[in-house]
Amino acid sequence: METNYLLPNKFKKLGWVLFGLGLIGGIFIYATIGLTDKFLKVKVLSVYDNQLFGDSSFFKIVENGIFDELVSVFIIVGGFLVGFTKEKIEDEFIYKLRKDSLVWVLIVNYSILLVAILFVYDMTFLHILFFNMFTTLVFFVIRFSVLKYKYLSHEE
Amino acid sequence: MKNRLKVQRAIHELTQADLAEKIGVTRQSINAIEKGKYVHSTVLALKIAKLFNESVENIFTLEDKD
Repeated sequence: METNYLLPNKFKKLGWVLFGLGLIGGIFIYATIGLTDKFLKVKVLSVYDNQLFGDSSFFKIVENGIFDELVSVFIIVGGFLVGFTKEKIEDEFIYKLRKDSLVWVLIVNYSILLVAILFVYDMTFLHILFFNMFTTLVFFVIRFSVLKYKYLSHEE
Repeated sequence: MKNRLKVQRAIHELTQADLAEKIGVTRQSINAIEKGKYVHSTVLALKIAKLFNESVENIFTLEDKD
């Protein structure tokens, strides 16, 4: 199957490692709210910062704990590598499963968000938004894996 | 679309995995095609027919609902 957006299969393992580390890190951040902000404090470039009570600034060097940034990058890059690298055997059916998973995840993810918009408020909604940054990829990886497993017959 | 893939496999004594390997697709593909859950490309139909030395129509046929 000719595809122009899939990376070679060798990146898939790396993807799973990054994705796994990212998810564990994400749970850690969530379970220890505030703690991880103190980790890995380095100077970073802030392109735009609009303080709630203060001036906004452009292109300023600020100090920031980059643990959460690393975790986010790991989940996103890892998730993309898992979902968008070639399978060991990449054929038209796998291609179809991948596309089906993408459509499925778009519908499911936005349905959940829609329900959350209507029925969840205040800080809890912010938490949902926080998760929603990653659920598209996470659900996609899960759905794609489930479909691949589902059609793998064990007969004979 | 109906297919006689399973019969052809039995005649040639091939497992789903054997057939998949011979035509360079995944086992999932063969499984889904046999269960009628996936209508494959013409290229794949031609490859399968060629492997079994049959005409495409002898393996794949239209159903009323198609």
